[in-house]
Amino acid sequence: MASIITATTTSGLTQSADNSGVLQLASGTGNLVTVPSVTGTAMVSGNMPAFSAYLNSAQTLSSNTFTKITLNAEEYDTANAFDSTTNYRFTPQVAGYYQFNMQISIATTTCNIIPTLYKNGTAYIRSSNLQTTSESVSGSWMVYLNGSTDYVELWASISTGQGLSTGISNSSRTNLQGFLVRTA
Amino acid sequence: MYDKIMALYPSLTEKDFLTVITLQNDSDGKGDYIAKWEHPTLPRPTDEELA
Repeated sequence: MASIITATTTSGLTQSADNSGVLQLASGTGNLVTVPSVTGTAMVSGNMPAFSAYLNSAQTLSSNTFTKITLNAEEYDTANAFDSTTNYRFTPQVAGYYQFNMQISIATTTCNIIPTLYKNGTAYIRSSNLQTTSESVSGSWMVYLNGSTDYVELWASISTGQGLSTGISNSSRTNLQGFLVRTA
Repeated sequence: MYDKIMALYPSLTEKDFLTVITLQNDSDGKGDYIAKWEHPTLPRPTDEELA
């Protein structure tokens, strides 16, 4: 016969820890779920930061000048970790390894585009340097962030100064996305 | 900034601005600036030359 442990309405369900640090849910034939012993915070779906920010106002870049992109609009930002009003940066409060996807879209003139991910104010990874006609160049990378002070920003350099594409309805958009892959 | 530098040194190439020279703009309203100048032969332009 199954045993059911019922949570209280005031304090939920608490499993007292033993020395193993391991929590297992088991059936008669084996373990169904094992939460391993970890240092720090075990990752659950509710605390995995994810965001998508995009450029929604005109921004013009000078030729061959690495410029911070003023991503001033958000598609989603589950942990309120992206600043889309002042510094245009992602500063998550959960330490771990984050995947970032970046895209720069130019508005008019064919030129070379270099999307660049900056970590803590310094160029961390440059993406492709492709010649495109009023289109986009994308790139991605995984970056460790310490969950307190580390931040990332989207920068770009283009060989012919011009405006960038804006908005979210166009497939040629200028944006940065990121999400937590695993905790530290 | 880029146009003024090119007017001073027409021999510079796009590659130079990806390797030995870095121009940046922090989007803080202060405009473009030279973040790195490590060209092996050409001296860094003065503020007067860039004004």
